[in-house]
Amino acid sequence: MLDMVLAPMALSVKEFNAGDTVRVTVSFSYTVGINTTVRLLAGPYYTNIFGKHLVDSCVGRADISLAAASTPTQQSADIDFTLVPKSLGGIENGTYGLRVWVDGTNAGAEQDSVIVVSGNTSGGGDMFSSMMPMLMMVMMLGMVMPMTQQMGAGGEEA
Amino acid sequence: MELKTLALDLGSVGVLQDGVVSLAAGWYIDPRTGVRVFYDPNSQNFYTMSGGVYIPLGYMNPAPKQVSIGPGEKLKITISYKYSGPAVSGALERYCVGVYGAFGFNETLVGENTRSLPASTTPLSYTGSYTFTIPASVGSDWDDIYCKIYGGSPGVPQTLFGYENALVIAGKDPSISEFAIVDFAKV
Repeated sequence: MLDMVLAPMALSVKEFNAGDTVRVTVSFSYTVGINTTVRLLAGPYYTNIFGKHLVDSCVGRADISLAAASTPTQQSADIDFTLVPKSLGGIENGTYGLRVWVDGTNAGAEQDSVIVVSGNTSGGGDMFSSMMPMLMMVMMLGMVMPMTQQMGAGGEEA
Repeated sequence: MELKTLALDLGSVGVLQDGVVSLAAGWYIDPRTGVRVFYDPNSQNFYTMSGGVYIPLGYMNPAPKQVSIGPGEKLKITISYKYSGPAVSGALERYCVGVYGAFGFNETLVGENTRSLPASTTPLSYTGSYTFTIPASVGSDWDDIYCKIYGGSPGVPQTLFGYENALVIAGKDPSISEFAIVDFAKV
């Protein structure tokens, strides 16, 4: 008998085009002694071997007013963010997680692989960046080859 | 603002007459817990023994309920106790909110009432209360309370009782929980 519960994913995967604006709705419970304002932030993130990385250029912000409440009070809020196209220094095509958090607190939520971005067209800049590693190798070979030739010539003299 | 209340039962309070102690030194059974305790008439304290060391009996207890409260709101603490003995004048009921830790109770809010207790041969019930207005400077760790009755003429032996983590303080910084993404969509 399996002693575990399989919970469904809270969010379903959705597809977007670069340039789209995404509205995230969050809910939370809060207490605070005085009327105050908190800043909510939301944006896509990607994961690699070094961890999770926010796509800073796409992070959206919203200021939410909280009325003083000494007993836990439910609140919901919307935060918009734009999937800035790659050509404008934004997001590449791919699959991203979604993270939302409250600035200056530990409150936050995220889910991996729920935003699929497409629609970035491959321009000259993309071609250049994809060829960069190959160009680097050619340049390094150009530097190394003369050095090995010089060492070989030195060995003959000795 | 809503008035919120906490209630404590101080149990039975005897009288301490000049030069006369209410109990002799020795071992007793705490009627509430059934635990063997030692009474020292010099310090007028009960002690429990652990590892060969006498430890003062704790007066702080887990709170039976928590009250959420914030600046500007009113907190009413109600106590009850029983007294039998000669008439006492000028006994003090002391109400404290503060921080209970390894070095005792740091009283941050204090209120006192003066009570006169009539002579009685049988234990009579009394109640007292004090209402605090929570200041704007309240700390998020001011979550403990204790009350005691003491003093007067003839003197009532100090009787204490308190609750740990009785308050949930809503301070100037928000406390957020149950944070969840409900939905997301293109607009």
